[in-house]
Amino acid sequence: MKLVHIYKTFYPNTPKEVKALTDINLTFKKGEFTTLSGESGSGKTTLLNLIGGLDTPTSGQIFLDDQEISAFSETQMAKLRLKNIGFIFQAYNLIQVLTVRENIGFIMQLLKFDDKEIDARISELASILQIEDILDKLPGEISGGQQQRVAVARAVASRPKLILADEPTANLDSKNSERLMRMLRTLNEKEHITVIFASHDKYVLEQSKRIIVLDDGVVIEDR
Amino acid sequence: MYKIAHHLAWLNLWRRKARSLLVILMIIMSLSGLLALQGLYDGMITHLINTTIRSDSGEISLYAKEYRLDKSLDHILSHVSQVEEELSRIKEISTYSVRLEQEGLIATAHKSLGGTLKGISLENEKSFGRFDTFITKGTYSFGRKNKGALVGSALADKLHLKVGNRLIFTAQDANGEINAISFRISGIFKTGNPSLDENTVFVSMENISQFLGLTESATQIALRIKEADSIKKVQKELQILFPYADILRWDELYPLLIQMRDIMDIFNLTSYAIVFIIAALGIFGVILVSVLERIREFSIMLAIGTPYKMVRTQILLEASFLGLIGYIAGTFLGWILLIYMATAGIDLRSFKAGLELYGYSAIMYADIHFYYFFQAFFAVFFATLLSVLWPLHILKRIKPIQIIQGKML
Repeated sequence: MKLVHIYKTFYPNTPKEVKALTDINLTFKKGEFTTLSGESGSGKTTLLNLIGGLDTPTSGQIFLDDQEISAFSETQMAKLRLKNIGFIFQAYNLIQVLTVRENIGFIMQLLKFDDKEIDARISELASILQIEDILDKLPGEISGGQQQRVAVARAVASRPKLILADEPTANLDSKNSERLMRMLRTLNEKEHITVIFASHDKYVLEQSKRIIVLDDGVVIEDR
Repeated sequence: MYKIAHHLAWLNLWRRKARSLLVILMIIMSLSGLLALQGLYDGMITHLINTTIRSDSGEISLYAKEYRLDKSLDHILSHVSQVEEELSRIKEISTYSVRLEQEGLIATAHKSLGGTLKGISLENEKSFGRFDTFITKGTYSFGRKNKGALVGSALADKLHLKVGNRLIFTAQDANGEINAISFRISGIFKTGNPSLDENTVFVSMENISQFLGLTESATQIALRIKEADSIKKVQKELQILFPYADILRWDELYPLLIQMRDIMDIFNLTSYAIVFIIAALGIFGVILVSVLERIREFSIMLAIGTPYKMVRTQILLEASFLGLIGYIAGTFLGWILLIYMATAGIDLRSFKAGLELYGYSAIMYADIHFYYFFQAFFAVFFATLLSVLWPLHILKRIKPIQIIQGKML
């Protein structure tokens, strides 16, 4: 994934104008385990949204596998997200009426995977993420840590090229944060999925192979 | 994709059970009430039309030209046996009744009133329109000497007539002479057709013919047609066969009945509009609130790549389930009500006087037609479609990131 001269301005040409990102140029290689770091309001979530096609840049280009996704229509972007990107949100955001099993298999079902394949993948992920005993429960019946692991399973189930995680540990205690990061690291190494976090959690930063620090919408450090 | 949308829609429908059940109940009550009312309205009109056809007009009636404008014996149908011969050749005609009438003065010991003396054949009228079933007092006969008369109930009341009383009818005969004839009341009838009940006395055809000095003559020949579809065709055929006669269908003779039917159609349409609005508002309320309270969930679904058309299908299915359950239960309840009202009827005898004034029966029976259920289906179907338009518009307009951003930024 490549970002070229990305600018993002909210409420342009109004008194409320906010320059969220300025001239961002980044490249992410397959299998990277990267964290976008910075203070609140530094632009890390805005950048994550642009990478995930949830928002469009004011100017600049975003390429995924040499395709300029920043020029995609909303429908094309939805297809791209479905096939290539897994999202993990801070607030878990599971579908409340579906069981854990159905939540994990949701994207695979949308992608018309075979039922047997879906079942096998759910079992595999449940084993890795240690959620085998809650597969038939509803999200409301399990803890926050368990919900976040289910959200991870949903995001990686269809083996997307890219996982985007926005503050995934923000609502978890240190023990659950540690466990989640260990599992994401395992999935990253085992399935060679590129993972990009937006986080300022110290533990997340420690686990990351690459850290990009943003300040006031500008990349100030990339190590 | 449809499978997941279907699954999600069904589960979400019962997320707020009480709310969904309330809307379904609202559709059931309004739909069953509508079906019952429609059947009752139609039943009232059908009853009026049937009694009019049975007691007077048939499906088609023949009159001498100008008779209906000037009811004088100068404008009568003559050579009736020849006309009957021609009629018997038309296979669409099941039966007919030859009638001869004259207006005059009806006098009793108490009172005198203008009225109509109508000559009929009791046997013919029985097969023509089961006239014997209209008898409320006395017998369906003209007595042993054929000198009896059947009097309309309202006329009998006005003249204080009872079975066995005598009346004298005075009128001009075919020669212009004023004559009188007396009859003993053998029966009192009530058809529901005010023009008959209020001013007609039925006597035998032989008696009236003799009294008026006429033979082979009639003022009206009423026909019963086997199939309703062939009425216009028979009318055209008769117009060619009898160019000297006015050939009129029942709806041309009683345009008021058609107007009443049109008014009932407007009532029905209004009722449908009310049900349509109730169903649409009910489903709209539930779906709108349901969409708004799940806007974040929909945003997440869209964000992770769920196609908008799947979300749209899910919402449509949620609304359709509400409409469909309401429709099935509502039409079932409506059907039971209709069956009951079509067989047992609704007893409105406490409003008897008012109803009979307009020719309605005090016990009303409902009609049942299959098209009621189709009409109801389309009303609920379109209400469902209409009710999801705004919630879908809201969903189409949202940018998932704007909803999620509250937490993500």
